[in-house]
Amino acid sequence: MLDNLTLNRRAFLGRSANGLGHAALSSLIMSSMAKAARGETVEPDDFRRFAPKAKRVIFLFQSGGPSHVDLFDGKPALDKLHGSGLPDSVRGGQRVTGMTSGQSSFPVVKPIAPGKPCGPAGVWISDLLPWTQKIAGEICVIRSMHTEAINHDPGITLANTGSMQLGNASMGAWVSYGLGSDNQNMPAFMVLLSQGTGKNPDQPIFSRLWGSGFLPSRHQGVLLQAGKDPVLYLDNPAGVTRPQRRELLDDLAGLNGHFADATGDPETVARIHAYEMAFRMQASVPELTDLSNESTETFDIYGPESRKPGTYAANCLLARRLAERGVRFIQLFHRGWDQHIAITKQLPNQCRDTDQPSAALIMDLKRRGLLEDTLVIWGGEFGRTVFSQGDPKSASAGRDHHGRCFSIWMAGAGVKPGHVHGETDDFCWNITKDPVHLRDLHATILQQMGIDHHRLVYPYRGLDQKLTGVEPAKVIAPILA
Amino acid sequence: MRLITTGFLCLTATTFGEPVGFNRDVRPILSKNCFTCHGPDSHGRKSELRLDLREQALKGGESGKPAIVPGKPDESPLIARILSKDPDVLMPPPESHLELRDSDRAVLRQWIEEGAAYEGHWAFQAPKKATLPEVPTAGDHPVDRFIAARHATEKLSFSPEADPLVLIRRLTFDLTGLPPAPEEIAAFQQALAERPATAYSELVDRLLASPRFGEQMAARWLDASRYADTNGYSIDGGRHQWLWRDWVIKAYNDNKPYNTFITEQLAGDLLPGATEQQIVATGFNRNHAITHEGGTIPEENIVNYVADRVKTTSEAILGLTMACAQCHDHKYDPLSQRDFYRFYAFFNTLGDAAHAGDGGKNAAPAIDALSCFADPAEAAAIIEQLARLRQQLEVPLPEAQARQEAAWRADLATRGRDFKTFPLEVVAATAPNGNPDRIRIEPDLSVSIRGGDYAAYNVLCRLPTAQGPLRGLRVVFHPTDAAKGKLGFGGAGGLEGNFVLNTLTTSTSSFPAGNVDLNGQLPMVRFTASSSQPGHWPEEIASTATDGGWAPATGATTPQHVTVTFAEPIDPAATPYLTTELMFNYGRNISPARFQIQAFTGHDDGSPHPEEVTAILAADPATLTPEQQARLKAHFQAHAPEKALIRQQIANLEERHAVLTRKHSVLVMDTSPKPRVTHILDRGLYSSPKEAVTPGTPAALPPLAEPADRPLNRLDLAHWMTRPDHPLTARVAVNTLWESLFGKGIAASSADFGSQAEWPSHPELLDWLAVDFVENGWDVKRMIRGIVTSRTYRQSSNTSAELLDRDPRNDLLARGPRLRLSAEQIRDQALATSGLLVERLGGPSVRPYQPGDLWRQISHFGSSPATSQTFIQDHGEKLYRRTLYTYWKRTLPPVNLAIFDAPNREVCAIGRAATNTPLQALVLLNDPQFVEAARAFAQQLLQSSYPDDPARLAAAFSRMTGRPAAAAELAALQKALVRERQRYHSDPAAAESLLAIGESPRDPALPAPEHAAWTQVASLVLNLSETVTKH
Repeated sequence: MLDNLTLNRRAFLGRSANGLGHAALSSLIMSSMAKAARGETVEPDDFRRFAPKAKRVIFLFQSGGPSHVDLFDGKPALDKLHGSGLPDSVRGGQRVTGMTSGQSSFPVVKPIAPGKPCGPAGVWISDLLPWTQKIAGEICVIRSMHTEAINHDPGITLANTGSMQLGNASMGAWVSYGLGSDNQNMPAFMVLLSQGTGKNPDQPIFSRLWGSGFLPSRHQGVLLQAGKDPVLYLDNPAGVTRPQRRELLDDLAGLNGHFADATGDPETVARIHAYEMAFRMQASVPELTDLSNESTETFDIYGPESRKPGTYAANCLLARRLAERGVRFIQLFHRGWDQHIAITKQLPNQCRDTDQPSAALIMDLKRRGLLEDTLVIWGGEFGRTVFSQGDPKSASAGRDHHGRCFSIWMAGAGVKPGHVHGETDDFCWNITKDPVHLRDLHATILQQMGIDHHRLVYPYRGLDQKLTGVEPAKVIAPILA
Repeated sequence: MRLITTGFLCLTATTFGEPVGFNRDVRPILSKNCFTCHGPDSHGRKSELRLDLREQALKGGESGKPAIVPGKPDESPLIARILSKDPDVLMPPPESHLELRDSDRAVLRQWIEEGAAYEGHWAFQAPKKATLPEVPTAGDHPVDRFIAARHATEKLSFSPEADPLVLIRRLTFDLTGLPPAPEEIAAFQQALAERPATAYSELVDRLLASPRFGEQMAARWLDASRYADTNGYSIDGGRHQWLWRDWVIKAYNDNKPYNTFITEQLAGDLLPGATEQQIVATGFNRNHAITHEGGTIPEENIVNYVADRVKTTSEAILGLTMACAQCHDHKYDPLSQRDFYRFYAFFNTLGDAAHAGDGGKNAAPAIDALSCFADPAEAAAIIEQLARLRQQLEVPLPEAQARQEAAWRADLATRGRDFKTFPLEVVAATAPNGNPDRIRIEPDLSVSIRGGDYAAYNVLCRLPTAQGPLRGLRVVFHPTDAAKGKLGFGGAGGLEGNFVLNTLTTSTSSFPAGNVDLNGQLPMVRFTASSSQPGHWPEEIASTATDGGWAPATGATTPQHVTVTFAEPIDPAATPYLTTELMFNYGRNISPARFQIQAFTGHDDGSPHPEEVTAILAADPATLTPEQQARLKAHFQAHAPEKALIRQQIANLEERHAVLTRKHSVLVMDTSPKPRVTHILDRGLYSSPKEAVTPGTPAALPPLAEPADRPLNRLDLAHWMTRPDHPLTARVAVNTLWESLFGKGIAASSADFGSQAEWPSHPELLDWLAVDFVENGWDVKRMIRGIVTSRTYRQSSNTSAELLDRDPRNDLLARGPRLRLSAEQIRDQALATSGLLVERLGGPSVRPYQPGDLWRQISHFGSSPATSQTFIQDHGEKLYRRTLYTYWKRTLPPVNLAIFDAPNREVCAIGRAATNTPLQALVLLNDPQFVEAARAFAQQLLQSSYPDDPARLAAAFSRMTGRPAAAAELAALQKALVRERQRYHSDPAAAESLLAIGESPRDPALPAPEHAAWTQVASLVLNLSETVTKH
């Protein structure tokens, strides 16, 4: 700190009248001076307690509550229990949402499609996910996730910000705050949205899920969109060319240099650099989203939809390209998993949208040597009830929300491949072994990034705020190699 | 933050050999490291030891031995424990992940050595006016005397006064949120020359009297009050709360005393003879998010709402983080869980519902009230303006009309050419939340619906491949028995037996996609129908507005259809599947009975015009009767792009007139006839109610006695908060005012005055101001005037490297404030300097430019009657209103404001960061709002007369920065101008493209290349760091 400031002074005093060259040289220290002037912590790093296994995270967030009963937690016992009522002893007074609290019976429904044991651990995976079955040897399925939430808003807010209450910072924002960007041409945290074909429109999502909450807003996720302006306001206005923009930015930097010299404003020097990064992003983002140099073979493994901008498949391919470019936290949000109704129609569509691209991403990362330092997570905010919502014989039958247990999978960056963690009872209702709270998942993600979740804190409203909050959280050690 | 400050504090405590102060030096260390287990929280307490109370610390915990022996650090177990090498003995324990620094240990040791004196938490003691420090150089101003006293101990001094041009810009932004106009600058300079002693205070008075003052001040309060135009949570539909926002603006403009400002917002409805506006004020406690998400649990929702009222009220007004005590006793402050629920009980007595706010209807309790800006004079002026505009609409444009008629006739000439329709094979038909059994695919390839309150239907069809490219779609609606021989299930409002098709969206795919691809929507260019109910024309189906749409003629008993033509024909060979989303009038329960989707080749045989207009266009123009000519002219006026601006302005003014003359809904507080009983909730869970409690205030604060005959209410609470000796209310208020001017409060953590708070940089000044505020009737304008007339405020913000090094955050105020402008100020400045700004006070929020439809991407459109699920941009003057009037959708706040650190308003936010990011550069360079502002700014420059380029460039520079350009700066601008001029002269098409951005008209008399070149210069000046900085 003191050294930095001493350096700052030298750099500052040593600047010539035209300032700019010196300003460019002193970029890093000047920006930390600007931070100090804003009252921000200057790169706290006593949270870096482990050697990072993951250089980056790709979170394939499946919004709406994918059915663990149908996808990852099917079991022979359910064939026998099919049609019987969920015993009160199992239900255990568990609250259900307002959608089914009026139901007079809770008939158990077996998975809507068969499945089979896959991979070395023999984890059951639905035939609705044939591609995921093929990568069973690469992933670790956790069947014992749990959450207190039973509705979307609190559930998805907890899954992404560590709390059901509004106002907290998202996972990606925490990582950006802790580790910053690994690429001077890209933001540290980027977000891609897609809509499933299983259910439209599905539960809404919100910018809070990738927001910065109480952290400085620079850490909020940057949306990467389909279409001509992949990052909002990226394109120069019509009638303005890139070389022209370059010249205008040179003019601007010169003028800003005058102001910085006259006033000693480190913020202005930081601003010159922000404009330069904006200019670089104007080249690096289109380069990122231009898929024309991807091979046919690559498109083939991600599936036909990968050629269609804005689809989950295209977003998975982009996630790999973002990973290659050093973006720290890449998060996809895919909607459509809220199968209250017509699950037999909707769920296969959801699976078709996501199965092949998710598996392709793992295979693609692996063959490029990226899987070893990329942590990939597939999962949503909760699971679904084993009992039917509505008459199980009707085509309109579905499943309600279930937070007591649900399944996710993780891969890469030190997570045991071909592994399964946790068990639930015959009803996929209660956890019988190795419960994992969403907070534990957060702690694990941070640990793989080299961060001690206890120590990555931000003082706000009288409290050292943490992603994992005030309740206990522990790293899921058994799944780590 | 802590690194810097605590380092600084250690210097003050130990380096100069002064005695330590408990509140300044010791409490922060104990609070952060010890109170979690040895503080106020009775449940979390370990070994029954408390260190927050001297008596307890001296007595010790369960060991029965004192933790602290005053004067004898070596005999104090506390010191032994913090120095121990044994991890089992060391405090704080390693598993807490807390660590003391050596400097912390030294402070604790010195403190015990000096007797281990405790002080009550400073912010919980009533403030007292200290004697003004005697500093010979400081002058008379009380603020300066406190600041200078600290300077003296720190061996610092004031910077020189800022240049008058810098000062007027700083002050104008601080008090009005806008830059000073050139004539205001000139007037100030003249006043300075004529009346140097009073010119500045006259300027202050003028700005405080400006109606813009309230708009500037309101912005902070809207953040703190989490004001928004939508309900929040997941579905986030629209609400109407702008009447409350306008009340806030007017309260500031009227200089409503702060105690009244607070009292009316907390309890306006309980005041004797409460006026309508006093009830509107209580909207403060209804600004919280409200949900109607199906499945959420009513009791849980209610707890969330009430808890948010506690959180917001305690943080915004008292600077207390009471929310921490919802689940357990506060870890750091003397706030028990019981205190929380007694405070909560004040806000738990209204008759609100757990699920509410759907369909754009305000969640009860709500009242209809008149706007506080309902000014008959403005209403009368609008009537006159409207009359003029209607005349302008009538002004004939013979050439344009002839061109338009020719185009219409040419289009009609192709009508029905080679037209052929093909019923499409329906693969699937679904609705998001409807029972699939109620939708049936009929043998004739139509889809029948059993009525019911459905939303958007998604119909997946296979396209015929033998016909070649398809030009568009026709949807045919059939009468059915279920609809009693009519087309739909409408029951009232002129739509009996009818339906409304709100929106039609289509996309194609290579595989059978159940839903429309929002990124691949097929653009539609022509809309016709077999018949239309007046007011429900076919082109309305292109809009996602939920209140419009096409309906066939009511009463029809024969099939009726609507037909759309795609911008480009679709090729079934490439994409054999087509998905169509048909959104029917959800919520009014008027869906159709049966419909069939057809594709067509050739040209649609329908006419996009009403029947009689089609007939007139088909007739020989020479034979038209005067009535027919008038009808044609009216049709032209209603549709011609040349008349669009006038039509928009008429619509905007009609709405404004209604704002000024009619009552509108607003959410407010009330008291239910049967108020809910408040219980302490174990761990904050709605499902674990414990002991019932009555309203009351925290025990650690001044007492509030309960009357014998009734429970305490919100009015009692307001009176308690505003009692003159309240330790928090006035301190928090003046600190917030200070923060709004200097960018940082005297107490830096302005929403937390608890024990974790940073020690104020000038505690005696803070207290002096707080007492002075109360003594002078809580007069906000007086307090601001007092601060901005100080030498402290008027200093130059220029910095030396030494000073920046010494005091990076400017805690010591040896220089003036320097801060990036807020999101609102940046946009408002661009609008003001370009002449685009429309200075109207209040009214419903507006939707200026925003890229694409980000709302629909995340929303529940098609599944919910909630409004504001899709973004529909406004036009005309609504694009240029002050930024605080921009529509605030909580789940996706205005993107160009969020990039400049605007919060999402889901929860109380006190003060904003001022970051500096590449995305901000992209907004200022490329957002159409700013590109248009640059174009309009350039136009103003070109329309004014200047002798030459340098004079015009100088004007541009000074308009934006408030000061004359230096020679080098002028030269840089000149160089850019020459280059851009050359560029656009050699590429006039590029100039035209640039100038086409933005909806405000451009002066066609200005040569495009020249205008474009100046637009670039304007953009350059708009992007200067100095332009976006208050300094």
